[in-house]
Amino acid sequence: MYKSRMAEFGPDSGGRVKGVTVVKAVVYGNVSRYFGKKREEDGHTHQWTVYVKPFHNEDMSTYVKKIQFKLHESYGNPLRVVTKPPYEITETGWGEFEIIIKIFFIDPNERPVTVYHLLKLFHNEPNIMLGKKVLVSEFYDEMIFQDPTAMMQQLLTTSRQLTLGPHKHETDFGDLEARTIERLESARRKIGTEIAVLKEKLRASRESVQKHKEEIRRLELQDGRE
Amino acid sequence: MALGADVRAILELGGSNEGVGPITKKDLLCDKKKSKKLVETPTFKRPEGMHREVYALLYTRDAPPLLPSDSTRGYRTAKARLGCRRVRPWHWVPFTNPARSDGALLHHWRRVCDENQPYPFARFNKTVDIPSYSEHEYQTLLQNESWSRAETDYLWDLCRQFDLRWIVIHDRYDTRRFGKRSLEDLKERYYMVSAKLARARGPGGERGPLSVPFDADHERRRKEQLERLFSRTPEQVTEEENLLTELRRIEARRRERERATADLHKLMTAADGAAGNAAGLRVSVGSAGSAGGVGSGQAGGGSGERRTAKKKVPQRREHGDRGGVPETTGIRFPDFKAAGVMLRSQRMRLPSSVGQKKVKVIEQVLTELGIDLIPMPTETIVTQFNELRSDLLLLYELRQAHATVEYDRHALQLRRDSLAAHMHPPPAETGAQTSTADEAASNYGVLPDGGSAEGSSASRKRREQPNVFTCPAAVKKKKI
Repeated sequence: MYKSRMAEFGPDSGGRVKGVTVVKAVVYGNVSRYFGKKREEDGHTHQWTVYVKPFHNEDMSTYVKKIQFKLHESYGNPLRVVTKPPYEITETGWGEFEIIIKIFFIDPNERPVTVYHLLKLFHNEPNIMLGKKVLVSEFYDEMIFQDPTAMMQQLLTTSRQLTLGPHKHETDFGDLEARTIERLESARRKIGTEIAVLKEKLRASRESVQKHKEEIRRLELQDGRE
Repeated sequence: MALGADVRAILELGGSNEGVGPITKKDLLCDKKKSKKLVETPTFKRPEGMHREVYALLYTRDAPPLLPSDSTRGYRTAKARLGCRRVRPWHWVPFTNPARSDGALLHHWRRVCDENQPYPFARFNKTVDIPSYSEHEYQTLLQNESWSRAETDYLWDLCRQFDLRWIVIHDRYDTRRFGKRSLEDLKERYYMVSAKLARARGPGGERGPLSVPFDADHERRRKEQLERLFSRTPEQVTEEENLLTELRRIEARRRERERATADLHKLMTAADGAAGNAAGLRVSVGSAGSAGGVGSGQAGGGSGERRTAKKKVPQRREHGDRGGVPETTGIRFPDFKAAGVMLRSQRMRLPSSVGQKKVKVIEQVLTELGIDLIPMPTETIVTQFNELRSDLLLLYELRQAHATVEYDRHALQLRRDSLAAHMHPPPAETGAQTSTADEAASNYGVLPDGGSAEGSSASRKRREQPNVFTCPAAVKKKKI
């Protein structure tokens, strides 16, 4: 399938479509669950799954060639490669570490994108600590395709739905966005007023400095005359 | 060997050809004995069945070196082997020096082979060509009130005798007969006469050391100056140095002050721009929020909307630029125009031009405001977040500038007060003075929260807000 697409665009598929920007939102992160005790044979305490999901309900494999998950080196075969959805790795372990997620695209002219995720296992909420509840640590990000290649543009705009059912995430990102924007706006207003006030004060003190200078000059002149 | 040759040479016996003739480099460096070939015959025949290569390795005249060999001709072994030749005899002989006119006979040591050659140092005896003048030439050209014919002749004699070594001529000058003349006077007369002669004779005539222009006045001034420079007292020298350093310090201070006012001006205009942005915030956020929210990222249909949202961003930037936001205040985030894929979160990364201290300040204030250090990266949030941080930095810089100005104001006020106390304050100014003094008293030291002298609404507003920046309480000039 990819081959035929490549042929369609010919050898100059590296040529880019100027002025076009395509944005693909993704969610990445991990869920983890405590066993409830330390496992006898290897000392592992948690089962976890690290994943990359499309934010919207779509099939990422139309434009993503593969996703690499680079685990801690103490795991056997630490560089795990997933070529089709769901893009996830499930493992057991006892420690947190940084997972390097690298997303490769179908068109090799688009450089891969790297995301860093700190695997989260521990939390001080009692239910999670007891293993009754699943710990979720996931983040939203957007991949911005600036001037994509012609081939990539077509791939990006033709992706289908992934599932027929509702597509939901553990975190309510819409709500999070609204709250963040609200907070940012109020902060900016606050800072804006402070800047205005401070500017007025600065202007006033500058004027007063100027006045003082003039007075001193005049006084000195008088002093000289007397 | 050298030793045998030496013995034979001492005993003046012939029979050794070695060491006769000039020494060459080869003689000095090369060991003759080593160059003799070692004559050697292979004593072992190749046995049946032994490979030729193995045999060649084992039994050959020039056995292949097993260790890196050290050539005897390297630098280390290159010892000059002196004293291996016959001594060339020297004789005590009389000679005449052709440079001398008196034909004195002197003696010196000389090699036998160099005999009958002229004295080699005679060629260093150089004489200067001094132009001579005839009676007629003197009468027509060279008359001068201050120089008599006899004195000129005398000068010429001295010049010839000492080959224009002016210091010597000046020293030998007969002051009793002709009076005292300065060195410059002598030179002036000589060069004037030779120049006149050369001009009169023309280029084809007798050549003279013409074209040596001599400016006697200039020379006199130069010497006088040097004399003065040399005879300065140590006090004068140090005073001059002090004055120079003082001048340099004044210049530096002036530049510093100009820079400070320029910075302040820039900051003020930036604040204007930021205040304008804050006023126009509601509208721009509303439009960008509707277009650039999370919901619009939908594949396919979303891209059109996305593009319109993109267009709005530069417009808003332009609006800010029209307000005159200079480049150095706030944070300048790079334009992400390069083609390719990148994460939205990368656009929130602070550029490296923002110093570590400023980053700390920003992080602290963000925490106080309850905003994540890395918020969820949607388009609106990233834009807002970046502008917020830019404003924060501007506010921080304004605070610092304000502290500096306040410090200056206080210093000036103290100075004015002391001046005013020194004499009677003019009655017309008293009202203004007291008001500024009030303001200073309330503002100085407790910068952000004082302000009784200012508008009540402004001060109330300020009290409501948390004091975001820890203001440099000890008011002094700080470098960020």
